[in-house]
Amino acid sequence: MRLTLGYVPLADAAPVIAAATLGFARDEGLDLALSREPSWATLRDRLALGHLDAAHMLGALALASALGLSGPQADLCVPMALNLNGNALTVSSALWAEMAPERDALPDVAAAFAALARTRATEGRPLTLGTVHPFSSHSYQLRLFARLGGLNLDAHVRLVVVPPPDTVDALRRGLIDGFCVGAPWNAIAVAAGLGRIAALGCDIAPDCPEKVLALPAHGAGFAPALVRAVHRAGLWCADPANRPALATLLAEQAGLGPDRALLARTLAGDLILDTAGTTRQAPAYLRLDAAVYRPDPAHARWFAAQMAACGQAEGDDLAERAAALYRPDLFDEATGG
Amino acid sequence: MTETSLTVAVIDPSPARAAILEEGLRASGVEHVAVIPDGPGLQARVAALKPDVIVVHLESPSRDVLEQMSGLSRQAERPVAMFVDRSNQTMMQAAVDAGISAYVVDGLRADRIRSILDIAILRFNAFARLQRELEEARSELADRKLIERAKGILMARKSLSEDEAYKLLRRQAMNEKRKIADIARAIVTAADLLG
Repeated sequence: MRLTLGYVPLADAAPVIAAATLGFARDEGLDLALSREPSWATLRDRLALGHLDAAHMLGALALASALGLSGPQADLCVPMALNLNGNALTVSSALWAEMAPERDALPDVAAAFAALARTRATEGRPLTLGTVHPFSSHSYQLRLFARLGGLNLDAHVRLVVVPPPDTVDALRRGLIDGFCVGAPWNAIAVAAGLGRIAALGCDIAPDCPEKVLALPAHGAGFAPALVRAVHRAGLWCADPANRPALATLLAEQAGLGPDRALLARTLAGDLILDTAGTTRQAPAYLRLDAAVYRPDPAHARWFAAQMAACGQAEGDDLAERAAALYRPDLFDEATGG
Repeated sequence: MTETSLTVAVIDPSPARAAILEEGLRASGVEHVAVIPDGPGLQARVAALKPDVIVVHLESPSRDVLEQMSGLSRQAERPVAMFVDRSNQTMMQAAVDAGISAYVVDGLRADRIRSILDIAILRFNAFARLQRELEEARSELADRKLIERAKGILMARKSLSEDEAYKLLRRQAMNEKRKIADIARAIVTAADLLG
């Protein structure tokens, strides 16, 4: 059976890319074709209208699409998660120098950012931060980061959307002062000498839900086979011994090249934070391990709470309607768990 | 009847397709049409233009940028929302099939933008058809060149007239249930290999 799966070039597309290119899908009798999408909105609409059979998708956007909060309302479900964490906040070298936090620890960085953001807003030249979509854990993590410093992000900072592959260029041109984006774009910005990784998503919100596998909720007879294929591919990604091969795969197939060494370090959570070469070991930076794939309805409730907190959605039953879209039962059925 | 009082922005990674849509909208009486290129300056250009309707190609990387400018953003002076007409599923499907999505200023009634979307669908489909025809014309030209070369080879090797060479090609194609161009390609390839 021939299927088309949409994705956006990011390291956490690893399980679906591995499923399509390393034979896991074929083993399940599926001819899985990958379609690289230029924006999350394009991917969402294509999935909603049946041009795509499945997608690597921001968890929050999958929920928003199914709840009719973003784009045409789609009949979707989430039978599998693809990763946890993976995001980071990178600021320009100039902004980091101006922030000058006392220590690198998250509370100090957040306080320094908040102080500077307030000053700049008062002076009428507010800071501009990039995120990847209004319905994304990135946007929610930026708000949580600001709140750690006692700052209301929406009142003091301009938040703009930059598609992930464009974030590095936007920082280079000085269009944004920093961005929150998924791996490996933060490491690429640092390697290009443009910025400093100021905070990791996994510090702001530990084990933060991120990308999911989104499928039509009805009529997708291929669902068990696809979940099985992507899950087996995910377990392959989870094995540290496969990281060099996975880095090559991402460089060649996912549009994340050409720096394989950088991708391998990213997968290992072995990060270079700044142009001076400061390193940090953060094994949980991007979690693709065996424990992340079963979809947890608690994650859907977390997304719902973040949507409500920033006024994207309301309603007493929002959390439960969101949780019902996560289907661990389908995951268990498919994988025999 | 098309709304002439609306300001329409066109965003498309293909400048040619954007120009065709711009011309189509003007021809139907929409006076204020602006083509805005994808890229880093887009948000500022859209904010300055204050369009009532933004017609954007489905493949444009700027779509996420427009979504941020939606009603949820406090920076947006004129909130825009993605146009989804649930009452007209056929038209929405046609729009997406043609590669179109639209963002409209909050509160604008669906019937006021329907004619604009209809024009966009027509023009985008016409553009796709033109492209297809151009592609066909190109391959037809290439086929004709191949057939000429194959005829030349047959005429030289088998001392045939041009007409006989063509008839031989055609007969072989009919016997093998293939296109004349395919037979011609085989002959040219063989001649190239065998010298």
